[in-house]
Amino acid sequence: MKTISASTAIASSKFLPGFSAIVLGLTVVLGLGFLQDANNYLHNAAHDGRHSAAFPCH
Amino acid sequence: MADFRKLVTASLLAGLLGGLLLSVLQHYQTLPLILAAEQFETSSAEHVHDWQPMDGWQRNGFTLLFNGLTGFGFALLISASMYWRDQRGYLYGLGWGLAGYWVFYVAPSLGLPPELPGTDSAELHSRQAWWLFTAAATAIGLFGLFLTKQRWLQIGGAGLLALPHLIGAPHPEVAQALAPEALQQHFVVLTSINNAIFWLTLGAISGRLLRKVTFE
Repeated sequence: MKTISASTAIASSKFLPGFSAIVLGLTVVLGLGFLQDANNYLHNAAHDGRHSAAFPCH
Repeated sequence: MADFRKLVTASLLAGLLGGLLLSVLQHYQTLPLILAAEQFETSSAEHVHDWQPMDGWQRNGFTLLFNGLTGFGFALLISASMYWRDQRGYLYGLGWGLAGYWVFYVAPSLGLPPELPGTDSAELHSRQAWWLFTAAATAIGLFGLFLTKQRWLQIGGAGLLALPHLIGAPHPEVAQALAPEALQQHFVVLTSINNAIFWLTLGAISGRLLRKVTFE
């Protein structure tokens, strides 16, 4: 069945390095943008950055 | 996984440069507005913080760190996408930067505009959930619309782009802000411009750096 066009196919040897980079990137971004800690240390340190990147804050 | 290490190295450099640029823009443009809004917040005395960085170098240092690290994370997404598609060069990078700006800034901001401190919003978790859903739907939607050849995937992609906005972002029943409306609007405009500059620069640098990298 030919459902995937050439433009969307990824060489299998390139899958894992790219996928790992995406997982790491999402972890970093979402961790910084979304984590709330009990003492608000992380929130307060990231406060201005979160506001300025339009992450939901407070 | 030698390619992974190369992606990380290139993204680290691109992210730090992009984050540095964004920090400079924010320092002169949006930080004064945040500080002004906090005056209203502290005068209303309902917002008691735990530890927070001291104003000045400490506070700016954390913002620089935040911007550099998020820049690194975003650059990883751009670099990995270009790596998968065998693209390199700043023009492709600009395209991916534009896509990132749309996914991570424009689409979420359409429902949840950037807010100054002291703005009353719907409950945090529901806003975070809508933000995440919107970013994911927009990313998949853009992929379907622009990077597939099948008509039904393109139509589905366009539908996914619209879906979060048809559902609508969570908003409080009575909207209330401590800072004046004009300050808030000014903040939205400057934030939109700064993030556009940040994303386009980040994409261009990432694409340019990939030219220097030879993958396995």
